[in-house]
Amino acid sequence: MLRLKAAGPMEQFEILPIVKLDFGGLDISLTNSSLWMLIGLAAILIFFFSATRRVSIIPGRLQSMAEVLYSFIFDLVRDTIGPEGRKFFPYVFSLFIFIFVLNLFGMIPSIPGTPAEIHTFTPTSHLIVTLALAMLTITIVVIYGFWKNGLGFLRLFAPSGQPLPMYLILVPVEIISFLSRPLSLAIRLFANMFAGHIILKVFAGFVVSLIGAGGGWFLLGLAPFLGVTAVTMLEFLVAGLQAYVFAILTCIYLSDAAHASDH
Amino acid sequence: MLRKLCLTLRCGAYNVRQNFKGVDVRAHPFSGRLMAEDADKQEPPSLDEFSERLDRARGETDGEKPQRVSGAAWGRALRVSTDMLAGLIVGILLGLGLDRLLGTSPWLLLAGIGLGFAAGLRNIGKALKD
Repeated sequence: MLRLKAAGPMEQFEILPIVKLDFGGLDISLTNSSLWMLIGLAAILIFFFSATRRVSIIPGRLQSMAEVLYSFIFDLVRDTIGPEGRKFFPYVFSLFIFIFVLNLFGMIPSIPGTPAEIHTFTPTSHLIVTLALAMLTITIVVIYGFWKNGLGFLRLFAPSGQPLPMYLILVPVEIISFLSRPLSLAIRLFANMFAGHIILKVFAGFVVSLIGAGGGWFLLGLAPFLGVTAVTMLEFLVAGLQAYVFAILTCIYLSDAAHASDH
Repeated sequence: MLRKLCLTLRCGAYNVRQNFKGVDVRAHPFSGRLMAEDADKQEPPSLDEFSERLDRARGETDGEKPQRVSGAAWGRALRVSTDMLAGLIVGILLGLGLDRLLGTSPWLLLAGIGLGFAAGLRNIGKALKD
């Protein structure tokens, strides 16, 4: 008889402190979430340092990968924001790579038997992480918008060419629409990662329980097993796609800020 | 220096694409077709020339265009639902907050729901426009 224990679907999202730290009453412990962010950051740094260590005109494998990523985001920024988007390229690129790597690393299976603190963790499945990234984007949009257009940035809230009484409704609607942007950005990434990981865990739990039930039950376990295989592939797609969507929306919002006075 | 780096980066993308098509770029550093073009020239092509021809070649072989468009469509489809929801949430939260601040419960909440719904629809309109 196999002795397998299925963890609950929510256990994977638990924040566990690894090194307890305190900063003036503020809890700044190193948690499993921050550990996986650091791992992601280290992986990105190692990848790009080794890819650009020896740069040649005819690139090797690593350099090609780095170049494809670079030109992919470069084209995205140039096509969405226009020529003045150049200065935002480093930000959008870092954002994309960071989210992409965190999402992908969340797909690594945990090693059984290791303490829960070092189990694989997806920081982007927490609303506070994605909200922080979204607020960073919106802060840049607001500061750049006012810096570039002055008070003309406020024209974003009053689209021209409407009859005067319409502005009574239009302005609050546009303000709410603007305020909903960071929330929409954050919720989209968080909800996709969160829901995907729950589905994975639930399906995998079915497989484990059916095998554990013994007898002919394990044959029934084949169906959720195929399901979990399909969902895993879908999750890889979602990991890339959500990082891409976050990057492209950042570009669209920055483009709005850059061209606010043309509205 | 910067120019050289840019060129390298663009070459990279081109080479990878050629590699996907099964053409071994390394065997002919400047790729089969490009090589044929300057068969009559003895000198190695300058970087400027190479860049020019690379751009031309990329223009012809941009096979990934449709893929990128479908990726954008996917992204747009995913945007719509959360955009609607976020507008509504912000409207409700603003309404509740202002109600508590001004003691006008429940009128601003009702207005917030209406305006939030409108903002959600406006978000969708914007998402479908760009």
